[in-house]
Amino acid sequence: MRLALAIGTFLILLIHGVVFYNQFFQKWERNQIAYFGQARSLAKTDAERAALAERKPAIEQIVVSNFGETRVDRCTTCHIASDDPRFAAKAHPLKTHPYSLELGDTQKNGKWERRHKFAEFGCTVCHDGQGRGLEPKYSHGEDEYWPEPLLGYATQEHWRKDFAPKLKGKAFLEANCVQCHTERGFKSTPTVERGRQLFYASNCYGCHRIQGISEGTIGPDLTEVGRTWKVDYLWARIADPKSVLATSIMPKFRLKDDEVKSLVVFLKSRKGRNFAETEIDRFKVKLTGGEPSKAGPQPVEIKPGEMVQQGEKLVADRACAACHKVGEKDGGVAPDLSFEGLLKGEDWLLEHFKNPRSTMPDSIMPAFRFTEAEFKAMTAYLSGLRTVPVLSTPDATYKAFCLRCHGEKGDGQGPIGQHLDPFPRDLTKSGFMNSKPTERLVASIRSGVPGTSMPAWGKVLDETRAKSLLDYIQETFTKEPRRELKARDLPDRNPVPMSPESMTRGQTTFVNRCAGCHGPKGDGKGVNALDILPRPRNLRNGAFVESVNDRRLFDSILYGVQGTAMPPWIDYGLSTNEVGDLVNFIRGINPKPKGGQHAAAN
Amino acid sequence: MSPKKQPRLSLWTTLVELPRNVWSSIFRNPIPSNDLERSATSFTNFFLHIHPVKVHKNSLRPLFTLGLGLMSFFLFVILVVTGILLMFYYVPSTTQAYDRMLDLRGTVAFGMFLRNMHRWGAHGMVAVVFMHMCRVFFTGSYKKPREFNWVLGVILFLLTLFMSFTGYLLPWDQLAFWAITVGTAIAGYAPLIGKDIQFLLMGGTSVGQEALLRFYVLHVAVLPTVLTLFIAFHFWRIRKDGGLSRPAEADAIPALEFPEGSSVLEPHRTYGVQGLVRGPLHAAGKVPDNTVFSWPNLFRAELFVFVVTLSAILLLALLFDAPLEEPVNVMLPPNPAKAPWYFLGLQEMVSYSAFWGGIGVPGLFVFLLFLTPYIDRGSAGVGRWFARERLLANTIFLTFVIVNIVFVIIGTFFRGPNWAFVTPW
Repeated sequence: MRLALAIGTFLILLIHGVVFYNQFFQKWERNQIAYFGQARSLAKTDAERAALAERKPAIEQIVVSNFGETRVDRCTTCHIASDDPRFAAKAHPLKTHPYSLELGDTQKNGKWERRHKFAEFGCTVCHDGQGRGLEPKYSHGEDEYWPEPLLGYATQEHWRKDFAPKLKGKAFLEANCVQCHTERGFKSTPTVERGRQLFYASNCYGCHRIQGISEGTIGPDLTEVGRTWKVDYLWARIADPKSVLATSIMPKFRLKDDEVKSLVVFLKSRKGRNFAETEIDRFKVKLTGGEPSKAGPQPVEIKPGEMVQQGEKLVADRACAACHKVGEKDGGVAPDLSFEGLLKGEDWLLEHFKNPRSTMPDSIMPAFRFTEAEFKAMTAYLSGLRTVPVLSTPDATYKAFCLRCHGEKGDGQGPIGQHLDPFPRDLTKSGFMNSKPTERLVASIRSGVPGTSMPAWGKVLDETRAKSLLDYIQETFTKEPRRELKARDLPDRNPVPMSPESMTRGQTTFVNRCAGCHGPKGDGKGVNALDILPRPRNLRNGAFVESVNDRRLFDSILYGVQGTAMPPWIDYGLSTNEVGDLVNFIRGINPKPKGGQHAAAN
Repeated sequence: MSPKKQPRLSLWTTLVELPRNVWSSIFRNPIPSNDLERSATSFTNFFLHIHPVKVHKNSLRPLFTLGLGLMSFFLFVILVVTGILLMFYYVPSTTQAYDRMLDLRGTVAFGMFLRNMHRWGAHGMVAVVFMHMCRVFFTGSYKKPREFNWVLGVILFLLTLFMSFTGYLLPWDQLAFWAITVGTAIAGYAPLIGKDIQFLLMGGTSVGQEALLRFYVLHVAVLPTVLTLFIAFHFWRIRKDGGLSRPAEADAIPALEFPEGSSVLEPHRTYGVQGLVRGPLHAAGKVPDNTVFSWPNLFRAELFVFVVTLSAILLLALLFDAPLEEPVNVMLPPNPAKAPWYFLGLQEMVSYSAFWGGIGVPGLFVFLLFLTPYIDRGSAGVGRWFARERLLANTIFLTFVIVNIVFVIIGTFFRGPNWAFVTPW
């Protein structure tokens, strides 16, 4: 007992010793003492030396209240030489803060004069970091919880290792410069300016809103994104959107590292406030909701005679090629528009421009707020694109037309496949390919599949070429030879007449049997949907449902769709009448579209 | 010069005797060397007189009590001391609280260390009080005549939880904000008055300045006072209920040691009956004496527990820093938002059923805890760990304890975003 007591007491004493040592021999004090010593050896006069000898280590702080909330910056406690020009060549932390013309510093008689005096600006206004701390790890914001690590200098431990080194560099500091220097084209913030241009050129504006800059509604509002997120998150969200959020529909754009960096710096500068504007300015913005038209894409006056030329320019200026392929430019996200005139009619194009989801309910294309005249000009330009490359073999045809979506291996994993909903058909699934009559497959190629991204190739491929293309696909991807199809007993028209009662019965069956995959709303987003490829059909896709006749619906429900997760419900006891109710329900939840909108309907 | 001969009170002798005079004016007794002085020391010292002069040997067995009750008390003392020091730096304001935390971590002398001690002390106290309760249950110590002291103990346990819970909000970081948001939401599931309790706690419909102020006042003034009172009551009852529980055979007269005719009492009993209240007063002097003097046996044991507790907390505070997460961002809840660990069992149950998990089951559990000594009336198996006679009661209680611990572990380590099951490795 006595020994244990002695040990315990000794331990208490020891810990007190350690704690007191840490408290009274702080790193910053050693720094300051080193500084006093070095400064004394550099001093020129005795008075200066004497003054330095008098100085005792003390916590230095700058209280800044001109920039938003009051900041307490104690950085100069360690970085005590930052305003002492004699320490320019020394190592951190005893190093002079560099002087430069870029920062607005001026030189008079060989002596530099700072534009941003530390006493006025402090440190964290420009650099971020945590001004109150004296422990480097915390002050530099290197612990994972600090929301503003030193811009361009500090990285946090949990940041992705492949990104972290790219998040260093002075360019990131520009995000804070523009908090005051809001004027466009300010020469010291080229990265922000580049990012702003890329925000248009990469068509970010189509989906995202930034107050005063863009009006997109599909993606999150980015007005204050720089205040909420750190640079690593911004980088990851741009460079690899799905790595942060698996369900993100944001495409992975073809951006080089320096482009991503510019965008990150630009977004980091979006803090929803800036120090240059006054309270009155902010109040005005609040009253008027900002002035989006001033900064966003400016409406162009369309002259009837130059529709096509102006349309071409608009398609280029408004960054359609950030996603689509137009001629040489290819965003690698959305379909090829190089011969759009052969695939779609003008009506369809115009409708699709105004509201992409009216023709393709699951399209991720944003609805742009351009003027009617602009849409017409762009339509005129696109429908004039009618030249296709001369292709002699089915192999070349597949590569030119199909590969972008269906992929090199025909498995639907083409370069843009993941951005299409419904997902491109997996042509290697022999179960599907061989259970459908050749005529239907050829029809899908030549007339397209309404409501999906499969266009009608009829004007490009005649019957023979379409057939040989199909043969090529069967040989190369499906591989298994076709079998003789058994004739099935299916009604050509739904034997159950359409009525509210029938729909109600259909709904009950639907909720019990189908909702798990097709979703309670029938939109294909059931709880199991994410585990199934191809995804369950969206049965609210009006254009698609309309294009499918009763016989095919009965076929798919009763006998299943081979090569997909749709089972043959005849095995689970669904009667023809129940299927009839289901068909009525599916037809009933899709109001008939106003005729003539769909290219396939012609 | 006075003609009368008197002992000279020179300045010199006054000075020489000063230290001894001051000492003896404070401590009435010399360091004890005989039983009389040993009793007098316990009896006349303000800080010691809460103890009996003599204490039963059974109470001193380290493996019987594990020192858990004392440990809880010492943790409370450590928390009061560090808490008062922290109060000098803290401002219960949503705009300043977090900055003050940064100051404590970065600039204030010993700030981080004090906060660490307070934080780990608080977590430790919740754990130790709970273990103390388990100890009392498994040794059957709540039985007659200690029923009411068990009730007081349950109240103290609840107060400790509430104390820790109110302190959780004060750093005003994301961890605090969302833990309290979740915690108060659980209170809101109570029927009828749930929403009112939630409103009363938060002083509004969401956690904000009002909630911070309320939690602060509760944490630094109301709850410590109430807790102190109940601790005093709890201690007083220990004395009045006859000291710590012990098995009946601990008081039995070993036949060999006390042959017929000889006195079982020690020759010189110099303590009053109050010093050793055990059972009815008229029994004093007629029972066998298995007691030893508190000085030094009990006090040394207490000192030992104190040293162990203090060094554990100091070591923890030295090695691990108390967490300080991002400043509060009302728009950005972490996923998942978790309550403090000791409420994660509740939160886990809430994820199955809001009412039953948050209010129904825990309410029933607390109700049963209060009633335990009045339901379980048998007198067998008192004062022994896991007595066979108490198999049923111990099994039921152990099941509750294990289920609770399992839920806490699941909630802490196995719950990821959207409260989905994740593995921590």
